[in-house]
Amino acid sequence: MSKSTSKEEFIAHELKSNFGDVISELKVTGPRRVYVTVPPESLRDILLFLKNMFNARHIVTITGIDMMKSFELIYHIAVPGEHIRSILVNVKTHIPRDNPTMPSVVDILPGATLYEREVHDLLGIVFEGHPNLERLILPDDWPEDEFPLRKDWKPKEV
Amino acid sequence: MMSIYRIPVGPQHPAIKEGFQWNFKLDGEVIVDVTPRLGFVHRGIEKGMELRSWVQGIYLAERICGICNTPHTTCYCLAVEQLYDVEVPKRAQYLRIIINELNRIHSHLLWIGVLGMEIGFMTYFMYVWRDRERVMDIVELITGNRVTMSMNMIGGVVYDITPPMEGIIRRGLDYLEERTKYYKEVLLNEPTIRARTENVGVLSKSDAIDLCAVGPTLRGSDVKSDARFDEPYSSYDEISFNLVTYPYCDVYARALVRADETLESIQIIRECLDKMPSGPIKVRLKRTPPPGEAVARVEAPRGELLHYVKSDGKEKPYRVKMRTPTLANIPATCEMLKGYYIADIPAIIASIDPCYCCTERMLFIDINSGKSWVWTDSELRRYSLKYYRERRK
Repeated sequence: MSKSTSKEEFIAHELKSNFGDVISELKVTGPRRVYVTVPPESLRDILLFLKNMFNARHIVTITGIDMMKSFELIYHIAVPGEHIRSILVNVKTHIPRDNPTMPSVVDILPGATLYEREVHDLLGIVFEGHPNLERLILPDDWPEDEFPLRKDWKPKEV
Repeated sequence: MMSIYRIPVGPQHPAIKEGFQWNFKLDGEVIVDVTPRLGFVHRGIEKGMELRSWVQGIYLAERICGICNTPHTTCYCLAVEQLYDVEVPKRAQYLRIIINELNRIHSHLLWIGVLGMEIGFMTYFMYVWRDRERVMDIVELITGNRVTMSMNMIGGVVYDITPPMEGIIRRGLDYLEERTKYYKEVLLNEPTIRARTENVGVLSKSDAIDLCAVGPTLRGSDVKSDARFDEPYSSYDEISFNLVTYPYCDVYARALVRADETLESIQIIRECLDKMPSGPIKVRLKRTPPPGEAVARVEAPRGELLHYVKSDGKEKPYRVKMRTPTLANIPATCEMLKGYYIADIPAIIASIDPCYCCTERMLFIDINSGKSWVWTDSELRRYSLKYYRERRK
């Protein structure tokens, strides 16, 4: 790493040279922010690569967004930079709305357990390989097919 | 051979004042495993954000948590300001630091008191909470509110600190510094506290990192991580202060981290008052931010807080996501609890500082005359002191 390139650009460069053929979008939007979009099947490889190469062991959270045609998942990964959790690499992936399944990353990042359960509860995305994908937030008697954070779900009048 | 018992603790439990359920698996007195169940106070705020305008979002974000209301609004405003691609004026950034640090002082003092309460040391609790009133008074002086401060807006802050206020704040800080030093002395020397907290709830350094713990929980396990350093938002890089860590990895270490951070916060506020730049405290922005997405991180008293916002150019956010520090600390707490006794549960669970809130302003109604009046806190305090002084004779 030369002095002239920042750590953010170095991470982006390393991602591009190792995963160039699967990455559909890669940008450094400012200090400490990297955004990268990959297909769902490559996501685990990217996280494993960040963990082995940059010692990124901290997942801040998983954001699930209903994009109407698909679901977008953003894995916010903190990568050591100037300090241990300085740079936020936001790994994005899109999964089809009619078959919302995603390989679990709990074995790579144990801290992701509750975040995957949260997304499963509120958006109905199934994380395959999760050790315990039970209800976390919604009540036990909540209807099986209602997911409050989907855009077609409207709060009922009380 | 002992059989395994299952005991649910919560959602209503006298020692844990939040709607939380912990299902314990016990071998005699010893905790073998624990599973948390959340959602008893889930209010659907993320969905609520999508149904409200960007400005209304500030007020909803403020009400996520009573105690760390300011970090939430700071984080939300920082994220939305990134969408506008504006930086708030320097003076507003310094005012944000001051109000966030006041929030941290009040939250940490509250926690130190709660620790005393959880281990049955009520005197400590009463004294710490008495002195915590002083920081609430400072907050009220600046913002007009004791708890929900309503300080931040998108593009700056609402209230300014005037020169006469500065003197009162500095006097308050001197008092708080002296008292906090004393409470730290108590933590260091009081055998009751040490017996109940040392080597209790141990979380090793590698577990703390792998289970993604945040805040004082993480720093009590000797990991140098703090969003104020990791991501110097709001001009935190211009202020010199120490990142407090302790290597003991137990409840005691977390207590010492919070005591030291309170002292650091007092220094930060003093430095901000010394260096306070002049100029405007807000910039005017259009009501609707341009399309885009942004992430902001803020160090709340309990740890790192994350807000993600996505705009599609309409008047309401497309998506707002928050990650609060307590959720991040739950996997670590489950690990901490294993192998300890039932009697240690309150101290260990309290050591991550799960948050609860209390605030009220009193309205008095005289039943005989039907007359109602509102007292300010100083009037109420004067009344209560007079009441007890008269009855003591």
